[in-house]
This record gives sequence, structure tokens and C-alpha cells, in this order.
Amino acid sequence: MDGKIQDYITFFLTGRLDGGSLMPMDPVYRPAAFGPYSDLTSLRYDFPLVLNRADAGRALQSLSHLVDDAVADLADDPERDRIARHGYAIEMDLRRELDVSGSGDFHELWHAASDRLSKEREDAIKDSADLLWNLFNTEGIILDAERSVPFRAVRHLWSAVQADKAKDFRRKTERLLLKLRGILNAEVANSATGRAPEALRAGVGAGFTNAFDFTGMSKILMDSKPISALSDGRRQRIRDLIEVLEGQKFFSLGNEEAATYEFAFECSSEALKAYKERHAEAVSLTRALKMAELEAAGEYRERMHDRIFEGFGERGLGFEDLAELPDYLVCAEADELDAQESSGIVEMLSAGIPVKIIVRTDDALQPSPVAEGHANLGGRSKSLVDLAIGLADVFVLQAGASQLFKERDGLVRGLSYTGPSLFSVYSGSGKESKGIPAYLASAAATESRVFPSLTYDPSAGHDWSSRMSVGNNPSPEDDWPDHRLRCQNSSLQAETVSAPFTPADLMATDARYFNRFAIVPDGADDEGLVPLNDLKDFELEGLPEEVPYIMLVGEDNRLRKAVVDLRTLTEVRRCLAMWHSLQELGGIHNSHAERLLAKERSERALDVTVSEAPLTVAVTVGETATAEPEEVEDAIAEPVGDDPFIETARCTSCDECIQINGKMFAYDENKQAYIADPDAGTFRQLVEAAEGCQVSIIHTGKPRNPNEPGIEDLIKRAEDFQ
Amino acid sequence: MMDSGHSISPSECLLRMYEEHHEIEDYQKGVPRWCTGCGDNAILAAIQRLCRDEGLLPEKTVFVSGIGCSSRLPHYMNTYGFHGIHGRALPVAEGVKLARPELSVFVNTGDGDCCSIGAAHWIHAVRYNMNMTMMLHDNQIYGLTKMQASPTSPIGLKSNTTPRGSYLEALNPLTVTLGISNVSFVAQVVDWIPEVLYQVISAAYHHKGFSFVRIIQRCPEWLPKLMEPWLHDPQRVLMLHHEDGVEISPAVAKVYTRMEEHDPSDMNRAREIASSIDPIPTGILYRNEEVPCYEDVRLDGRLRTASLVKQGLEAEFDKFTVWPDASGQA
Ligand SMILES: Cc1ncc(C[n+]2csc(CCOP(=O)(O)OP(=O)(O)O)c2C)c(N)n1
Ligand code: SF4
Ligand code: SF4
Ligand SMILES: [Mg+2]
Repeated sequence: MDGKIQDYITFFLTGRLDGGSLMPMDPVYRPAAFGPYSDLTSLRYDFPLVLNRADAGRALQSLSHLVDDAVADLADDPERDRIARHGYAIEMDLRRELDVSGSGDFHELWHAASDRLSKEREDAIKDSADLLWNLFNTEGIILDAERSVPFRAVRHLWSAVQADKAKDFRRKTERLLLKLRGILNAEVANSATGRAPEALRAGVGAGFTNAFDFTGMSKILMDSKPISALSDGRRQRIRDLIEVLEGQKFFSLGNEEAATYEFAFECSSEALKAYKERHAEAVSLTRALKMAELEAAGEYRERMHDRIFEGFGERGLGFEDLAELPDYLVCAEADELDAQESSGIVEMLSAGIPVKIIVRTDDALQPSPVAEGHANLGGRSKSLVDLAIGLADVFVLQAGASQLFKERDGLVRGLSYTGPSLFSVYSGSGKESKGIPAYLASAAATESRVFPSLTYDPSAGHDWSSRMSVGNNPSPEDDWPDHRLRCQNSSLQAETVSAPFTPADLMATDARYFNRFAIVPDGADDEGLVPLNDLKDFELEGLPEEVPYIMLVGEDNRLRKAVVDLRTLTEVRRCLAMWHSLQELGGIHNSHAERLLAKERSERALDVTVSEAPLTVAVTVGETATAEPEEVEDAIAEPVGDDPFIETARCTSCDECIQINGKMFAYDENKQAYIADPDAGTFRQLVEAAEGCQVSIIHTGKPRNPNEPGIEDLIKRAEDFQ
Repeated sequence: MMDSGHSISPSECLLRMYEEHHEIEDYQKGVPRWCTGCGDNAILAAIQRLCRDEGLLPEKTVFVSGIGCSSRLPHYMNTYGFHGIHGRALPVAEGVKLARPELSVFVNTGDGDCCSIGAAHWIHAVRYNMNMTMMLHDNQIYGLTKMQASPTSPIGLKSNTTPRGSYLEALNPLTVTLGISNVSFVAQVVDWIPEVLYQVISAAYHHKGFSFVRIIQRCPEWLPKLMEPWLHDPQRVLMLHHEDGVEISPAVAKVYTRMEEHDPSDMNRAREIASSIDPIPTGILYRNEEVPCYEDVRLDGRLRTASLVKQGLEAEFDKFTVWPDASGQA
């Protein structure tokens, strides 16, 4: 075997750099796919984000989208192109500014950027800036991709959702309080006190006290006073309800001085403690809301409702019951999670507590704590997310920070979800990925499927594919999105190199894993090397003939190959297998469905004519079979023998027959007549009723007593009504 | 539990279990003083059936009427009711609805009550399009005052006010209603086909907006022969049916075989059908769910709290206040 290839295989199997055919990894090399992104500030992408002070649907905005939408709104403006150019310039300037400062007030920074540019270039920029600003209709903090983004963005959306809840609660509670107080006030107004001369005088106002005879008025009103007053029980109940609604501390009712509870916490144990302390109050408020609703509608019935509300909440409250109250927010750092905090999170998620937990991962490539030197791809997030999904009624969303804008609807859905939710977000700002901007690091983790985007929404349906979705990932159908790099080869010919971004590429950005890569020196040929992408099914079954490589790029912008060791290849394959099962759960490449489809196809191909014929027959049989009973049910009752009958469905409830004999004729549950008892009257009455019935639906049948006086004549008259 | 997307809590479920249920008799009050055979009985029965089937709470339901035999209906309903003054049922009902939008409001009126003395209110009620159901009991005569011609009496009808027969062509309540802006629901039924009567009143109740239902009603006391040709010849009734309108059961279809499929969103065809007097078209002529309701446009959803009322009053008073120390302003 060629000595060079021996060196490759030795490195692949052991990670040792023997021989001299390979060079150690150097921090100057970055994954080739990073090539075009060396300066992010010159590109347009989702970041910076704007935490807009608006309702949840508009609370998270992206600067570049704001500018694009505003420009689109200017479709009819003759100056549109110029304004757009100014807008892009300000956007770029702002992005550069934020690269340094991180975040700031959007209004201030936008106009500062426009001031700077208008000084440097042309004055008109300022006008464009103002025009675009008005179209944004947005205000708040603008921030670049940085470590705090996951917490700030989710917390901001959480606040927006809570603000909507607070608005609903306030509206409802104010309405209920108004109604409840109205009931008490009405009682006073109707009482002897309310109608006493002094009360009437007080109601009229100072200017007219001499214009009326309040004593006389009071006397008249006293006489017409309603006799019913509230029962003592109801009055007390209404007072108690008012007290609970006014005294609650869950929401502010517009009175700024009244203290309200805090619902955002740094750790799960604090949140859990607060939840437990307030539980009794939460139950009593929920109960009061339901009771007050019934009271206000005049539908409270002591007989049945007392019992329900006495035992209210004894067996805990459901998510739906608590949905009106604020949700707890816990912001936790995945890398800091100790056993106690992790179990606290799990307890909250599984105990039916309305909590929204955001876990931020800074290190997506944590070395495994158990197996020395192994990488724990996806970090702690993966196990937490798996566990939460296993609980079945937890809403789960995982995403890289770079995906946050794209995931905004999912975030709002999770925050509005009735029940616990877990958001796991990778910030891209780990200590180990120094030098790589957070946005790029997080996008790379998403692309390599080390930290894929996923949403598990228990309210979306009953099966996996409706609940799980992975569609927000780049190229969700593929193993990895493909990057096509245009470059020049050694003979200065332009060529396109395909470079999918794999977990190995991601690891090549992290100093802890540099020893897993070895650089192939310039000038070496491709013998014994194969792109890692082609070894996805690799099993070590004997001495390998080729070893995997990935593409890196140095500071000189030249592509280099780096051999990848076996440990890394194994981890890449494990990560890919996990991605495949996610795809399958999310309804992409469902192996079961694909197998069935293949089977179906092959069976269909066998014999089409035979399988179709019996099918047609089955349909015809089924149709006639169902048609029959329907007809029977709806047909008008036909005479059965000689008994009298009424076409009840056509009866107009006119009372005519009932007036003749209320025992023979009676109304059914729809107030339509039928013959209740043919023997409860005479044949004469039957005939008279039939003649009197304006819609002629009474059928007399044959006389039951042939000896009835005048029967001959009656039978003749009845001939028309058979 | 009805809609699969939304689940409810056990306590909510328990509350629903205790909701009240009523039978038809629970909506009945007193014994109607109408003549036996009067078509008003059929209308009352259909209304009571609707109340039971929709589970309407008696204390959340109001029947408003004017004056006439037909206007006695609220007396026979064990719900809230307002037997008002001649021709003024609609303004009263509108006031009820504005003050208490959560109530189900029905209006029962006669051809004299609605089409003569109350005609102005009728036009404006259609235009206001408030969410309520109006039933015009059209017996083509003043019944209560013992047989005077009404605007809908057929030309030539001999009555106490028209001993030589009435001179004018009858007013057509359907074409009039269809011509008013904001019209959103127009239907016609005859009192003697109870199933269709019920279906149409039910559709009118479910329509969000002002539902106008003209019911051709028999008055056996004063006009015993008037409707006879139609009663005895089912061919003289035209059954309008449509998947968005009335669906005719096989039992009814067996007797009333003259049918037309009519889409209630088709205003032009509705107008043509409305002008037919013989055969009598029955069913939903026109429906438009898009027309806004006055109470929705008018009420802004703000609670009328004491402070809001005070604020409004202060603002008004301020317009007339002269500030003694600000001499420049007045
Ligand atoms: C202001 C006023 N004018 C006249 C009357 C007399 N009046 C009572 S009922 C009625 C006509 C009722 O006819 P209609 O509305 O068709 O009711 P019906 O009795 O036919 O059901 C009249 C004119 C009255 N009660 N009030
Ligand atoms: S007479 Fe005829 S329409 Fe009247 S109640 Fe009896 S069966 Fe019904
Ligand atoms: S007079 Fe006519 S409308 Fe009035 S109750 Fe008698 S039948 Fe009915
Ligand atoms: Mg009348």
C-alpha cells in the first residue's frame, strides 16, 4: 500500500499524524461553505431583529423585511428606486453599527444612521429615512444576533401574548364588576331607602331641589316598589365575588398602585415556588370568574351551582381553566443546568403548570460528559426536547437563533398554547466558536442538522405528522442542504464544487475538535480520498481503501481538503440517523407509507381489470341498501287497516279537532295533532273533525260502532276522508 | 367538545351538564284567544318548537308586537314580551336590542300593523339590519277590528271599509322589502305547511341580521274562503329549495311537487320570484350574511361605566363653559 494512503488510514482510525503526508489542523481554516460569509455586515439577512411594541402577531420584526415591505408599499411612488437605495444604505449602516453596539433603540439608531449618511452623501437620504420610518409602523429595541437574543426575543413575545391576555382579562373583569355592582345598586335603588325622599333629592342635584315634591314622589314610588329583593345568600355571594375580582393580583386592572405578581423567573425552582404559593388564589379567581359570569347573566342557580363551586379546584385545575391567567416564564441556560434545575423543569412541564420555558444553548458541540472525547451533538437540548415531546401535551419548539424570525409564528403559537411549552434555542455564541459570528454559527448548526428546527404542537392534531413539523429547516427533504461553491482549480479553470454542510464541517470550527481533522497538503492528488458525503453508509468491515474528507478554506481563500477521523464519521452518521427519524415523524419520507405505496403500486400493476370490476358492484349494492330505510322513515303514514289516523307532520296546530274532543285528538311533543284514542269519542266527532280540518289531514277510517245513530249518513260523509 | 380543535375543562363540562332544558309546554302561557282554525296557532306552534330546539332561555328571549290579533302572540309565550302600540313593534324591538344585544328578539306583526300604520318603521328596520326575526302574519285583513281591508288585501275584496270591493292593487311586502337598502334576509311561507314554516323561521333565527318572514296566514273568521284554492291545490304553491335554503323532505315533496331550485344569494331571481302571487312561492328568497348589523356598527364595545359616562358628559359641558380667568378665550 502506498505510504501516503497508509498515513491517511492511520489518521482515520487513530487520529495520529504518522508519516508526514498530512498536516495538523490550523485555526485559520474554516469550512468552505463559510467562504462567502466572511463579512456578514455586507449581506442582507433576517438580523438585526426589532422587538416591536405591538400585538404578538407583529411583535417580532426583521429589519431587512421591514425595509422590503416598505419599499413594496411605495409601488406607485415615482421616487421609489431612489428611496429604496437610501433605505438599503441606511440598513447596511445600521447593521455595521450594531455589529459593534449589539442593540439599541430602533428609532434613534435608524435616524442616527440616516444623519451620518446624509452628511457623507446627500441630504435627501433624510427624507427617505422619514418616509420609510412611517411605513415601518414599528417601535422598540433593535438587536443583532448575540448571546442574549433567544431570551430577549422570546421574553418579548411572551410579554406581548400576556398583554393580550391582560387586555381580555381586564375587559371581562370590568364588565363583570359593572354587572355585579349594577345588581347591588339596583337593589338599593328599588328599596325603601332608595325611594325615600332624601335619596330622590340627592339624585336630582342641587339646582332643582325646590322644583319637585320629593315626599309625594317617594310615596308614588313606594307604592310601585317591586316586592322581590335579593336573597341574603345572593347578596353576600355577589359581594364576595366583587371582593375577589377587585383584590386579585394576577393582572393590573388599570390601577397602577395595586401590586401585581411577577411571572418571569430565572430558574424553575423560583417559578415553581411562586406557582404553589399562588395556587389557592388562582383557584379562587378562576372560580370567581365563572361564578360571576353566571351571576351577571342571571343564570346562577343555587340548587345546582352551589355544589359545583363548593368543590371547585379540589382536584386541581385543567390547562383550560388556567388559560385566562398569566403564564409563567422561565429563562434557563442549558449549559448551566444542574440536576436540580433540570428536574424542576421536567416537573413543571409534566405537572400541568402553565409555564413557558426557554432554554438557551450556547454550546451545541458539548463534549460528552460520559464518553471521553466524544461530542454530544445538539448538546443538552436534545435530551430535554425528547423528554418534553414524550410528555405528549407539551408544546416544543427547537431552533437556532438565526431561525427565530422565521419561527415567529410557531413561537407565538407556543406562547399562546393552553398548557406548558418548551422553547430550546441555540444562541450561536459559545465560547468555543470564537471568531465566528453568532448568526453564522447558529445557521451552521441548523444546516448541519446538529440543531435542527422542529415544532411539536399537541393541539395540531392527533398523529405525529400533524403535530411534528420540520419544514422550516433549509432543504427539509434532503440530508443536508447543498452548497455549490464556484472556484478556480489549480489550472485556473472555473469549476463548481459541491459542499454540503455536515456536522463534521461544524466541528471543524471548534478548537476542541481540531485534532479530528488533518489537512491534505497542496498538490496531493485525490487518491484514497472521498467526500464525507459519499460515506454516509460507511461500516468498518475491513481495511478501508478510502478515507473521508471535507473542504476547508484558508485565509488565502484557497480550498483545502481535510481528512476526517472515524470517531467523527460515526458521530456524523448518528446525527444523520436522528435527522432521518425527525424527518419521518414530521411526515417527510415516511418509511411505512413509502413501503405501503411501493406494495400498492406493484399490486396494482399486477391486474387492474380484475380489481376494478367487483368494486363497481359493491358500490351499487351499497347504494340501494341505504336508500330504502330513508324512504320508509320519511314517508307519510299510510292507513293501517280501518283505523282512523292524522298526517301529523302536516298539522297546523289550529285547535279545531282538539276543540271537538280533547281526548280523542291530542298534540304530540311538537304540538301537532294525532289520534290519541279512537275509542274516546264517536264516529260523528271524527267525521266532523275531518270536515273541519282545513288542511284535510284527518282520515276517519271505518266506524268502530256500527250501531251509532245516523251511521249510514256519517259513512257517506266520511268517504272523502279515507 | 363539539368542535374538535378546542377542548373544555371538567368544570366547564359540569356546568354545561346543568344547563336547563325546556319542553314545548314550558314556553306556553295561557290559552290563545284566537278563533279555532286561525293560522296564528300554527305560527305559535312553530315558534315554540324553535325555542325548545334552540334551548332558548325564557328570560333571554323577547317577543315584541304591535296591535292586532297576530300581535297577541307575546301573551301566549312564557318569555319576556312587549305588546306595544299599533305599528310601533319595530322601534320597541330595536331599543331592546340596542340595550340588551344578548337577548333573542322576535317581532310579530300583522299586515295592518306593519304595512299601513307601521310602514315607515318597517322600511327603516330593514335598513338598520339589527339582528332579530320579524314575522309578518299576513291574513290580508284587519282581523281584530272585524274585517277592514288592509294594504295587502287583494283588489276587489269586500270588507267593512270597502263594501263595493277594494279599489287598489295589493301591496307586495316581498318586493317592497327586497327593494330596501341593506336588506339581508327575506322569506315567505304559508301557515299550513308546518314543516317548511318551522324550517324558514329557524333559518331566519339563525341569520345574523334583520330577517323578514312573510307568513301567509288564514283568517277563517273573516275570510274563510280566501285561501281555499291554494289549500286544496298543492300545485299552486311553489317550493323554493336550495342547499343554502330550505331542503324539502320527501314527505313534503310527495304532496307539493312544484319546485324550483333557487339560490338565496341571487337577488335578481329573488325579485322575480317575489312578484309571483299565484303560485305562492315559499322558502328563502334572499339572504346576505355580509350586511353589517346596526348594533355592531353603532356600539363600539366600550363598557358604559360610570366614569365613561361622566367623561362624556364633562366633555359636553366643557363646550359651554366660560373660563372666567382666561379672558382671551370664550
Ligand atoms: C293608533 C291606532 N289606530 C288604530 C287602531 C285600531 N286597530 C287595532 S288593530 C288594527 C288593525 C290590525 O290589523 P293587522 O295588523 O292586520 O292584525 P290582525 O288583527 O289582522 O292580525 C287597527 C286598525 C289602534 N289600535 N291604534
Ligand atoms: S284540525 Fe287539522 S290542522 Fe287543526 S289541529 Fe286538528 S289535525 Fe291539526
Ligand atoms: S279574526 Fe281572523 S286573524 Fe283574528 S283570531 Fe280570528 S281567525 Fe285569527
Ligand atoms: Mg291582518
